[in-house]
Amino acid sequence: MTLDSSEISVNKMKYSPFGLAIAFFLTAIPVFPQRPFSAAYDSSRQVKLQGTVTRIDWVTPNAFVFIDVRDATSTITNWVIDIGNPLDLERDGWKRSTLHIGDSVTVEGVPARSEARQAFAKSVTAMRTGRRLFAPSAKRAATPAAPAPRWPDGQIRLGAPVGKTGYWGTASSKVLVENTAGKIPMTDDGLLLNITDADKVAPFLPWAKSLYEHRQRRSLRDDPYSRCVPPGGPRQFQMPNGFQFVEQKELGRILLFLGGGNRNWRVIYTDGRPLGNAAEAVPSYYGFSVGRWEKDTLVVESVGYNEKFWLTSGGLPHTEALHLTERFTRTDLNTLKYEVTIDDPRTYTRPWTGGWTIQWVPDQDIQEYFCEDNSDFVR
Amino acid sequence: MNKRLLLVCCLTGCFIIVASALGQEGHPLTGTWSGDWGPTAAQRNHVTLVMNWDGKVVKGTINPGPEAIQIASVVLDVTNWTVRIEADAKDQSGKPVHISAEGKIDDLSSAHRKLSGTWMQGTTKGDFRLVRD
Repeated sequence: MTLDSSEISVNKMKYSPFGLAIAFFLTAIPVFPQRPFSAAYDSSRQVKLQGTVTRIDWVTPNAFVFIDVRDATSTITNWVIDIGNPLDLERDGWKRSTLHIGDSVTVEGVPARSEARQAFAKSVTAMRTGRRLFAPSAKRAATPAAPAPRWPDGQIRLGAPVGKTGYWGTASSKVLVENTAGKIPMTDDGLLLNITDADKVAPFLPWAKSLYEHRQRRSLRDDPYSRCVPPGGPRQFQMPNGFQFVEQKELGRILLFLGGGNRNWRVIYTDGRPLGNAAEAVPSYYGFSVGRWEKDTLVVESVGYNEKFWLTSGGLPHTEALHLTERFTRTDLNTLKYEVTIDDPRTYTRPWTGGWTIQWVPDQDIQEYFCEDNSDFVR
Repeated sequence: MNKRLLLVCCLTGCFIIVASALGQEGHPLTGTWSGDWGPTAAQRNHVTLVMNWDGKVVKGTINPGPEAIQIASVVLDVTNWTVRIEADAKDQSGKPVHISAEGKIDDLSSAHRKLSGTWMQGTTKGDFRLVRD
């Protein structure tokens, strides 16, 4: 009976100007598919749901389970449950077939900021067995580290050891702050818990600090990445889908395949060519990069950035004067130390440095990801 | 309006929304601003304003081209995103005329943010409305 009513109303909408206007609205909404966590979910609230699985979407960068929830008046509503990155889930031993359509689950999570019936799962429990699903594995963190692999000439390999596969996955931090700042209370995606800490994040010029605070006060909802803009600058090394180095020594270049945004790639020239003049470069998301080895560290200088992206999810601004110096050091098989110096005299009072480490994901490749893949879940 | 025309309008509107979402995230004043100023709603004068932040000051030009006016100073108050622009031009008879505009940036997060306020050109006072291209 309920289904029939819905079909009738949809048919009416299809032929009316009002219906077309609604269709237009719905079409326009999916251009914001991958908002920062703080913009999408309200961590100050909790939700507990019991329901029946109606659909499972095992897509990157976030997998979703859809459940029908019956409320006290026996009204059924469909909720979208965000269960996190499927690559991370697979590494923890979870599969698409872990849940089945028709299974009953209990979900505890963080609800969406909007009116959407959507939540980020903190826990998913199968009601029939009581088993907790999609939880991180303790085993993963305990993987022993072998020495960093090397090329025959002794240089560190940034990619997989010979005959193996793998990629660089989870970053130890999803935010960028000056490395002398100490611990600044903020969410994982860079939303400050106390806005007065903005001064500690980076040595902003006044306009840049004010713009950063403006973005923070809007809970990062203006993040260009949420509109499918590529994650340029340091942020490319914090994306959930990771990245791969492809070292082409014979061609004097290193390719970076980025899992975090529309199959993007970046070229780092190691053939000794000069960095060139930033003012003459065509501004781009990943800039123009040249690299050199300093012992076991790859040092990459880049200029030629456009201004269309945020440096990290917290909303750090920059201008076309941005000059990045990145230092990649593989300290063992499993660990890549990433350090970046931001030199943008139009945005910051002085050059400053931050960084994080990134974990190796063995025996897997980065997977295809296009930003639009998650778009129809944003409501 | 027939159904097909309405659909075309909807799709065009959708395209505009998508296109306008692609922004410029650097200094809020940098870029080209277009709009008009005038003493009344009927009397309007087209204005193009090109501004660039060089790290120390905002420099710029009003109506670039043969009759370009160099901006003498731009003061941005980042606590409330208000702007004061001063320039010296010449009127049609060649007499010096001072331009002073005071406004506020709205919709700061949008690539097509707005700048509007009061515009004083010589003894003529009016309002201005600019949108960043």
